[in-house]
Amino acid sequence: MKKNTLAKQIIFYVTLVAIWQIVSMTNIWPNNLFPSPYEVAEDLVYTASDGSLFFGIATSLLRLIIGLTIAIVGGMLLGIFMARVEIVNQTIGSLVLGLQSIPSVAWVPLAILWFGLTDGGIIFVTAIGSMFAVTIATYTGVKNINPHYIEAAKNMGAKGTQLATYVLIPAAFPYLISGFKQGWAFAWRGVIGAELLFSFLGLGFLLNVGRQLNDISQVFAIMLVIMMVGIAIDGIIFKRIENKVMSRWGLR
Amino acid sequence: MTKLEAKNIVKYFKHDSHRLKALGGVNLQIEDGEFVCLVGPSGCGKSTFLRIVAGLETPDEGEILFDGKPVTTTGPERIMVFQEGALFPWLKVQDNVEFGLKMAGIPKEERTEISKRYLDMMQLTKFADSYTYQLSTGMKQRVAIARALVMDPDVLLMDEPFASLDAQTRDLLLVEMQLIWEKTKKTILFVTHNVTEATVLGTKVAVFSNRPSMIKKIINVDYKRPRLVEDQNLFPLQQEILSELRPEVKKS
Repeated sequence: MKKNTLAKQIIFYVTLVAIWQIVSMTNIWPNNLFPSPYEVAEDLVYTASDGSLFFGIATSLLRLIIGLTIAIVGGMLLGIFMARVEIVNQTIGSLVLGLQSIPSVAWVPLAILWFGLTDGGIIFVTAIGSMFAVTIATYTGVKNINPHYIEAAKNMGAKGTQLATYVLIPAAFPYLISGFKQGWAFAWRGVIGAELLFSFLGLGFLLNVGRQLNDISQVFAIMLVIMMVGIAIDGIIFKRIENKVMSRWGLR
Repeated sequence: MTKLEAKNIVKYFKHDSHRLKALGGVNLQIEDGEFVCLVGPSGCGKSTFLRIVAGLETPDEGEILFDGKPVTTTGPERIMVFQEGALFPWLKVQDNVEFGLKMAGIPKEERTEISKRYLDMMQLTKFADSYTYQLSTGMKQRVAIARALVMDPDVLLMDEPFASLDAQTRDLLLVEMQLIWEKTKKTILFVTHNVTEATVLGTKVAVFSNRPSMIKKIINVDYKRPRLVEDQNLFPLQQEILSELRPEVKKS
């Protein structure tokens, strides 16, 4: 990131917190509805010091990773089949478009009935809520591969799974990475949403506890953490992969 | 010995709703080790003919015989070099060159040994670890030729491989191509729209007529090598080819 941008961002966030502090000091809203930044920070330090915050983050991330892995593997397989086999696209393809429009949390009742109040249920919601975004990105990516790549590879003897692993997936990678990014965003929403509704651990659960105890600063604190984890994963993992891919594939 | 034989190749293009007869019965016989250049007005279907020989497209009528056997699909004995190279941007130069060997299941050490030889032949050794986006267009075409030669095909099919190069690079590659042909004794089928290129490279130049294309004339080029682009002695032949081409270009 450019130094200049970073400076602007620091100034922006400092100002934002200052305004927040001033608003909370005016007591327009009662303190139990609108906490001060200090109280939120205090709550963060408290939940961090007894370890419950880190345990919550770790639990949510673990569920996310398992769910997202299932989504990526399944989504890519389905996407490749849709792109390469016309009948799969004509049949399952239309269903995928429909399934993608179902929000993750709408799978929660089904997950509870099928898996009970378990980790399995949360992982199911996470995986199914993000899989079809990966499927569609893979489909688009494979469809947009320069046909000469595929012809050249076939000419040099690649076929079947070889063609998929050594050509289709790497050639579609610029699209895949945006699919993974979208998939991750859906998965993160899915985990938190599912935890909020039926879990005893994780960030979503902590958020729900905050509500049940009428602890507004905990609600604020956990929401901040959810956002920061999001920014971190986006910035650290996806930005890097994306930058590398973009330059190597000659897209920049 | 006849290496390749095209028997009455007919191919239609789908053009909106109606069919356009692109190839109107192409007959061509190519002996082992010949360097045949195909010239013709643009859009006459000479590239399509090459793709049919490669097995990337099927003719509507007629057949291609390779060593007397009909061609139905692509095969490692007939390797295509595409106009834009179609190199894989996700692989280093060396891995691009080794791609076909890897698909054939040849172990790593052996692959490295073979690719070294061809990287050396194409003066690419110091670029072995580069990615394709780091190469100039000329270098990319060298990699594409090396990648094809590694397969040790009987026939090399080249679709205007030098069309997007600057004049100096092209002149250099025209000389190198002659040396490669003399050294490897491959049968080469080379599509170009450049008459000078055709006379410099070919042992024979086949002139295509306008659509529906047939081979109008075959001109033998008996002249010492390496031939240079500026060689005055090739002018009369070039004039002869141009006089065959001119009425065809006007018709198109």
